[in-house]
Amino acid sequence: MPEWLLKEEQYEPLSDRDSFLDKSILSLLGILSRIRAQSGIRTGKYAVHAAFKVACTFLLIVLLSLSKNLFFILTVNVALLAAISLLSADKILRILKAGFVAALFTLVILLPSAFWGNRYGIVMIPLKVFAAVSAVNILSRTTEWRDVTGALKSFFLPDIFIFVLDITIRYIFMLGEFSLPLLYALRLRSVGKNNRKYASLSGVAGTMFIKSKEMAEEMNAAMECRGFTGDYRKSSRIRMNWTDSGYLLIHMLLLLLFLYLG
Amino acid sequence: MIELSDVSYSYEGTAALRNVSLRIEKGESVALMGMNGSGKSTLLKLINGILFPDSGVYRFCGEEITHKKMQDPLFSKRFHQRIGFVFQNADTQLFCADVYDEIAFGPRQMGLEESETEKRVEDCLSLLSIEALRHRQPYHLSGGEKRKVAIASVLALNPEVLVFDEPLVGLDPRAQRWFVSFLMKLHAAGKTLIVSTHNLEMVQEIAGRAILFDENHTIAADRPAESLLEDVDLLIQTNLVDEYYHHHPGAGHQHFHIHPF
Repeated sequence: MPEWLLKEEQYEPLSDRDSFLDKSILSLLGILSRIRAQSGIRTGKYAVHAAFKVACTFLLIVLLSLSKNLFFILTVNVALLAAISLLSADKILRILKAGFVAALFTLVILLPSAFWGNRYGIVMIPLKVFAAVSAVNILSRTTEWRDVTGALKSFFLPDIFIFVLDITIRYIFMLGEFSLPLLYALRLRSVGKNNRKYASLSGVAGTMFIKSKEMAEEMNAAMECRGFTGDYRKSSRIRMNWTDSGYLLIHMLLLLLFLYLG
Repeated sequence: MIELSDVSYSYEGTAALRNVSLRIEKGESVALMGMNGSGKSTLLKLINGILFPDSGVYRFCGEEITHKKMQDPLFSKRFHQRIGFVFQNADTQLFCADVYDEIAFGPRQMGLEESETEKRVEDCLSLLSIEALRHRQPYHLSGGEKRKVAIASVLALNPEVLVFDEPLVGLDPRAQRWFVSFLMKLHAAGKTLIVSTHNLEMVQEIAGRAILFDENHTIAADRPAESLLEDVDLLIQTNLVDEYYHHHPGAGHQHFHIHPF
């Protein structure tokens, strides 16, 4: 054993600005826990088929964009708020926060135009933005990503496109899970002043790149071994239930209201 | 040196540790045993200040380790220098361009002279018998070599406590043998060792004390390793050994077998 290893280290660290590491870890943890939190959102009030959710959200955004009627936009906002109120407290908070921030930002951008007489836009556009952002957020927070990609099959997207999208999302999660301990390791060994912080981070990024390449090669080999020849088929059977019918009915009513009011 | 009182931790509502209390003295060698998912890795992360207890108190050398305290960069850096963590997957621990830089990362951070850094790196390379890897890129190494580089990178910081998470996983029998002898050397050098493992043979050789976790994420037993390893009923109960029928040349018989991993 070398002598230095037998002695107790008399070390007092110097201060350094490296809070970026903690911030990176926290943001990565946030993304991963959000993906993890998606499991188990296929039942109960979230049980509407993903294909209907995707189609209706798309329809709603189109109607909101086309509509010039304040009553219709307010009705959509009320319907969305009612839908949000059925969710759990943390989801309500996150959806409302995203909607309000987007609406507020739009309002600030539009403020100068109000001075030139654009009273219509300053009310309508932030309301439309709030509704559109909330609708997309409701979809993303109540539907698993694999269901959303699966739902694309109903819109006649090629299977191989859905497959690539599926794998991409899965890899984002897996590489995120892999990079977290790398950042932990970097933090645990960052015991002093690091003048080459970004070199360390680029090392993490490089390792991630190599890891993703290796994983992709292994997956390719595994798929070949299982007889994959480039043809990927995904089932798109939809079984309607009462929740689906209710969900579609509400959107049909909104469509009729749009047609009536314009 | 390390003291946990009534510590509990859960991952988004799923319990990983329940009311864990333990005390590890300086210079001890402790093995953490238990089936997969019993909370060993979570405990190691808590001990290393990566996670923080939902309830209960963790003290390191008398100082309570909290999220707030770890936000103080000077305290956190000193803490991390004193306690080194070798992750289960060496891939997730190596981020430098070559093996030399990987080992020199810690000493350079500590502000050691380049000559002292070089001495530490050379000592670590020789201690782990990886001199030939000096200029290799970490991601091109074999599993065993990566593990050795990961250990060297932590050892170069000269921590008082070394924490290993499943160190034998993925190593061939010869590397496992080497590793057990290496841990014994470290212990003889006065380092405090905390090792999580399923390998009962290793526990017998390196640990003076064994802590066994059960499937309820609590400590089922905390005893001298020898005494715990003799308690076959408890080991069966916690799924660390099982009984099955097999055949040796001559006769078939039934006896207990260790789960290797």
